Amino acid sequence: MNIAQQIVNGLVLGSGYACIALGWTILLGVARLVNFAHGQLYMLGAFATWYAMTRLGLPYPLAIIFAIVALAALGALMQSAMMGLVMSQNLTSLMIVTLGLGYVLQGGSALIFGGNPQTLPGTLSRAKVDLGSLWFTWQDVLVLLATLALYGAVWLFTQRTRFGSVIRAVAEDPKLSELFGINARVVYLCVFVFECSAVALGAALVAPRSPILTSMGFNEVIMTFVVVVLGGIGSIGGALAAGLGLGLFIAFFGAFIAQAYTTAAAFAVLLALLVIRPAGLATK
Amino acid sequence: MTCILQCENLTVQYEGNIALSAVNVSVSAGKMVGLVGANGAGKSTLVNALAGWSRGRAMVTGKVLLEGQGIDGLAAHQRVQRGLTLVPEGKNIFAELTVDENLGLVRPPQDTAGRHIFRIPDVFEFFPRLAERRHHKGAALSGGERQMVAVGRALLAGPRVLVLDEPSAGLAPRLISDLLSRIRLLVDRGLPVLLVEQNVKAALRVVDHLCLLERGRIVAEGPADVMGADPRIVEAYLGTLATGDRS
Repeated sequence: MNIAQQIVNGLVLGSGYACIALGWTILLGVARLVNFAHGQLYMLGAFATWYAMTRLGLPYPLAIIFAIVALAALGALMQSAMMGLVMSQNLTSLMIVTLGLGYVLQGGSALIFGGNPQTLPGTLSRAKVDLGSLWFTWQDVLVLLATLALYGAVWLFTQRTRFGSVIRAVAEDPKLSELFGINARVVYLCVFVFECSAVALGAALVAPRSPILTSMGFNEVIMTFVVVVLGGIGSIGGALAAGLGLGLFIAFFGAFIAQAYTTAAAFAVLLALLVIRPAGLATK
Repeated sequence: MTCILQCENLTVQYEGNIALSAVNVSVSAGKMVGLVGANGAGKSTLVNALAGWSRGRAMVTGKVLLEGQGIDGLAAHQRVQRGLTLVPEGKNIFAELTVDENLGLVRPPQDTAGRHIFRIPDVFEFFPRLAERRHHKGAALSGGERQMVAVGRALLAGPRVLVLDEPSAGLAPRLISDLLSRIRLLVDRGLPVLLVEQNVKAALRVVDHLCLLERGRIVAEGPADVMGADPRIVEAYLGTLATGDRS
């Protein structure tokens, strides 16, 4: 058993989890909203990238931008439709509505893109790096570096800018924020658009690693949920650490115990940690 | 005297129950108007309706005028941007944000005409205690410090008029007197203030004009010195000790 390779696999997997979870980290962690269509948005982001590359003939970087813009527009539409629920912070209804929306997106995508698996051509996922007994792809390196850079940028944005404070204020009390001259509706719209854009970026970076299907998304939303809760809701650094930690755990669990039970094992870890540290890993 | 804030026939209903009935109030430049009344009289309902703000489902009718312009169609955040700033009763700052972050949320007005402009150093000069606590989260502040942040936030919005809903609630008597005299200083500099206060004795020391609200209606109003001697005020809020009758 190559331990070093498992560490690489874990970091590759974990950076993917963290990358996909970035939007949710802001949505749930900072703005205290939920979107259980996140997994289907990931699927749509992957297909938007695939469509831009294979049908529109765009190069990979432009296809990423295409996917981000397409999902940002979809996010704005979704948010406008759900504004009443969002303003009242009705999380139960939001959960049900977004779950339903996820199924609608999945069904719609199957109609448009079909049920066959597709692959994203012309990315870095086939550019392999061999370092003796270790191997990874340049796409893996891109995902890891992009994830670290994005989390750093988002942390700086939320903690060091006025708009970051505005998002945290609206999340704490949207009614009170109005008395500070803040239009809470616009803030929620921006947060939701960011979540959709971030998941599109995550999909465009992570999806080239494996074939994409319109039925995918459930596993991604589950892992995103684990990452955000495990990291401690509201903690951006915690979500990054949880994503990487979860990837390492799954890589080792899959290699040493059983690949088939990795998701169940991840939830077992989540449950155990929530018993020990109810507010997540990143709390004092 | 120029009327800065005015409401005409302001009526508020909560699910069919009338909380405020055809109320008329006006606040002029450089004056502090006090609004007193028992619990449930409609004081908070009135100031929230003026600010276009409510945590409940209020149905508001009537006119609200800011410097003569109707603002009753505007949302709360737009009224703040126009210069009507409210410090509500109870939770009035963000507990998870620091003092600096709370104050930094407010955007200074673009159009400064007719506005009373304050900057963050002015707020710290006005409330020196806040300068020492600027990196503390709202949750770690005392009740008095939170009121100071809330008033500071309202000042940074460049108010044309400041509306305060029971700023003395939960404060020690010495702090009440300190806070109200600081607010009086602002009025003396020209800022009009509408003050809702249950502590009538403290309010009478600082306001120019007093309105008595009962069951959603203004039942008496007049200059503070006259209202201080009004038997309804004396009997219900001041007691015989306040009039000097110790026999």
